[in-house]
Amino acid sequence: MLALLIKRMLTSIPVLLVVATLTFFLMRAVPGGPFDADKNLPPAIVANLNAKYQLDKPVAQQYVIYLSRLAKGDLGISYKYINRTVSDILSEAIPVSVQLGFTALLLAVIIGVPLGTLAAVNRGSWLDVTAMFISTAGISVPGFVIGAFLIFIFGIWLKVLPVALWESPWHMILPSLTLAFSPAAYLARLTRASVLEVLEKDWVRTARSKGLSHWATVLKHTLRNALVPVVTVLGPLTAILITGSFVVEYLYAIPGMGRFFVTAVTNRDYDLIMGTTLVFAAILIVTNAIVDVAYQVLDPRMKVEG
Amino acid sequence: MTASIDAGLEPVKAVSRVELAFTRLRKIPSAYFAFWVVCLICLLAILSALGVPLSPYSFDQATDDLLVGPSLKHLMGTDELGRDLFARVIYGSRLSIAIGFVTAGVAFLLGTTYGAISGYCGGKIDTLLMRGVDIAYSLPDLLVMILVGVLVGKGTFGILFALGLVSWMGTARLVRAQLLQLKEEEFVEAAKASGQDGFTIVMKHLLPNAMGPIIVALTFTVPSAILSESTLSFIGLGLSAPECSWGTLASDGWRSLRSYPHLLGFPSLFIFMTVLSFNCLGDGLRDVLDPRTRLFKG
Repeated sequence: MLALLIKRMLTSIPVLLVVATLTFFLMRAVPGGPFDADKNLPPAIVANLNAKYQLDKPVAQQYVIYLSRLAKGDLGISYKYINRTVSDILSEAIPVSVQLGFTALLLAVIIGVPLGTLAAVNRGSWLDVTAMFISTAGISVPGFVIGAFLIFIFGIWLKVLPVALWESPWHMILPSLTLAFSPAAYLARLTRASVLEVLEKDWVRTARSKGLSHWATVLKHTLRNALVPVVTVLGPLTAILITGSFVVEYLYAIPGMGRFFVTAVTNRDYDLIMGTTLVFAAILIVTNAIVDVAYQVLDPRMKVEG
Repeated sequence: MTASIDAGLEPVKAVSRVELAFTRLRKIPSAYFAFWVVCLICLLAILSALGVPLSPYSFDQATDDLLVGPSLKHLMGTDELGRDLFARVIYGSRLSIAIGFVTAGVAFLLGTTYGAISGYCGGKIDTLLMRGVDIAYSLPDLLVMILVGVLVGKGTFGILFALGLVSWMGTARLVRAQLLQLKEEEFVEAAKASGQDGFTIVMKHLLPNAMGPIIVALTFTVPSAILSESTLSFIGLGLSAPECSWGTLASDGWRSLRSYPHLLGFPSLFIFMTVLSFNCLGDGLRDVLDPRTRLFKG
């Protein structure tokens, strides 16, 4: 298992390099630079700024400069947030986004898996029909609608919860719920389908005929097997939660990575775009590696080749 | 002689695959209802694109009623310039629905071609083509769309480019998997033996047999494109005024949520209804056309 993890980490370096290269040339290939928005700057000053940040050099040379800095762990500086390095911004933004993402993931699992299991066990009942309608509706609602709805109910109408910024645990409730909503719905659908399939297996019938209680059968013999597909999607789901956080961070004015990424892209803040993209890619690689390890714990028959 | 044999048999009516699918779809109430809602919304979008006046007001006509709530005169109220929201939502359906269908079209053309080449050729070509898709597919869609869409340029073209770029990969994987399986069938061997070339075999024998799952996948592509467009427009990275889609309307409405919730509520309701209908229709079609991969049983 340790060997698998080490191998995963080593193969991730070329992947990160590819991501860095693609993003770098994509950014430079399109018109517009970081100082275009400041319309009032005289051309001489823009030229000086470009020279200061070495943006006047050929793109290939800039790429080499960037990579050699990156190899030393220097992510560069932001052109828009004056005097702040990218590492500085990221070190504040990453914990916020990770907190938000994991709270939402936890909520989604806590809500989605039991809902899906209950629906499958009581197949065809009103509980099943209601749960499935809610979850189909749940994957059909844009995140901003859920967010706006929650803000309107709890923030504006009832005035019980704060609707912006990221300061106390109270601030975390609405954003995490917003972010968790559609993954929870998705997990409920997936869990239901998976549990239904496992419930038809022979070993479940055997467990029943041994006289095992209903819930013991469901929890011990069905759920563990039914959760394998659920674990499979947790990796991509974490990715969805990170990207979903663009919207949630925008809605609730949360200073996380999604927010910095969106403003960086709009401002052509090259180094900040690179920094956030690389962090996103690294998070994806790590979550996928964790999922592969989790597979083996859940189902030792599965041999994962790194 | 023949007459006496015929007399004993029920006349059998030939049923096309489309008819058969439709008959089965009718038996799933939620999907059948969703089908008609989808038809209705598409009809609204088409009529509005053809310039048929569906509302007493035009989408950019300012009236004297500024920021009024829903009433008989203005079904969904008006915005800060006195423009009738109902007229704007109907007009906005044009762009939102078009983006959904164009994206599905791109996904179909690109994805089917790529997947068919990969699946039919197999071997090294397949490994190479699919490795590329695997890497790109693992990146979160919204991340790629923001990066590409904004850099290509805001506006309809930029967003279609971004949506097209991320949406074909799922179809490509699906078509490849289907073809890998189908090309081992005997009718393909027969076609090869009769001297047909690869292109004909793919077009005439393989793809028609893979159409069911492809149609199901495309039914889910439309709502996800509509969702992505509205989300991007909402955070200010998609379409913006003077373009008018459900996403831009929702984005405008968000700024005045505190005082005038109807401005966000009605466009959101339309996005929700449309996406929900497409998803229900997709679930139904999956049961009808592609029973092996269905997520729901019973």
